[in-house]
Amino acid sequence: MKKGRWAVLLGATVIALAAGLYLGMRSQSDNASDASTLLALSLPDTAGKSQPLGQWRGKVLVVNFWATWCVPCREEMPQFIKAQQEFGPQGLQFVGIAVDDADKAERFAKELGLNYPVLVGGFGAIELSRTLGNRVVALPFTIFVDRHGNVSHTQLGPVRPDQLSSIVSKLL
Amino acid sequence: MIALPAFSQVNPLPPERAFRFTARALNPQTIEARFAIADGYYLYRDKIRFTAQPVTAGLSVPPLPQGKPKEDPFFGRVETYRGSLVVNLTLKDAAIGQNIVIQAESQGCADIGICYPPQVQQATVPIRAANAAPARPDESRKSWFD
Repeated sequence: MKKGRWAVLLGATVIALAAGLYLGMRSQSDNASDASTLLALSLPDTAGKSQPLGQWRGKVLVVNFWATWCVPCREEMPQFIKAQQEFGPQGLQFVGIAVDDADKAERFAKELGLNYPVLVGGFGAIELSRTLGNRVVALPFTIFVDRHGNVSHTQLGPVRPDQLSSIVSKLL
Repeated sequence: MIALPAFSQVNPLPPERAFRFTARALNPQTIEARFAIADGYYLYRDKIRFTAQPVTAGLSVPPLPQGKPKEDPFFGRVETYRGSLVVNLTLKDAAIGQNIVIQAESQGCADIGICYPPQVQQATVPIRAANAAPARPDESRKSWFD
């Protein structure tokens, strides 16, 4: 990867992490179910372009923290692809945040045929996830946000297909 | 909030308890490095690294013992450790009375379906002519992104 691209990713990650830490602390004291922490973030996609999560406000947003070195993460992703395809037209939007570098995330996204955006947080993203409720700082970690911008559910560990179906159907 | 599923009731261990690292000097030339791996957790062999401070102590790491093979669709054949892992590290130039900091980098997962990011733990080992208890791991836990 070119040095410039690394610098952009690193800078964006640091900014996002700082925002997450600040907003996370504020969010906890204001309203634990408020997703404003998350929706205020911007992270680079695998091409290095900054993507604000707020662009998906109003949709049922499923934010999945994952990594290529995390087998359970990779195993649950095919069902996300399927759900995105099936419920995307009804307003469901998955977004992956890779706790990894851009090259590995991009390679894996292509291999698996991900049909939803992958943002790149690097290893700093695991700390970001901590501010969003991932107390054990392990992966996968998934956050479900309703159309009104509230966190309806967070989960550490794989989301089972029946859970995904149940949660999403209530939110759509 | 939607009711939490059964999995959410499980309390996974923090990584420093799931993969507890200690080290002790067996003699001025040999450090025994040990991971005590909690039940239901495992470490990846190819993610384990050891370093020592000061570097003038001349740490030498032997090949790690063979782990349990596992096929990974993304990384190919990998090996894992469960239960415990003991590695005897060699020091070329440690002096009696010196404190050596052994730093262990590792990455592992739990059977309940979660993986931890790479962790760095360290233990301070006093070098004595005859040694007793293992050095306690330092309180500070580091990781790659610190």
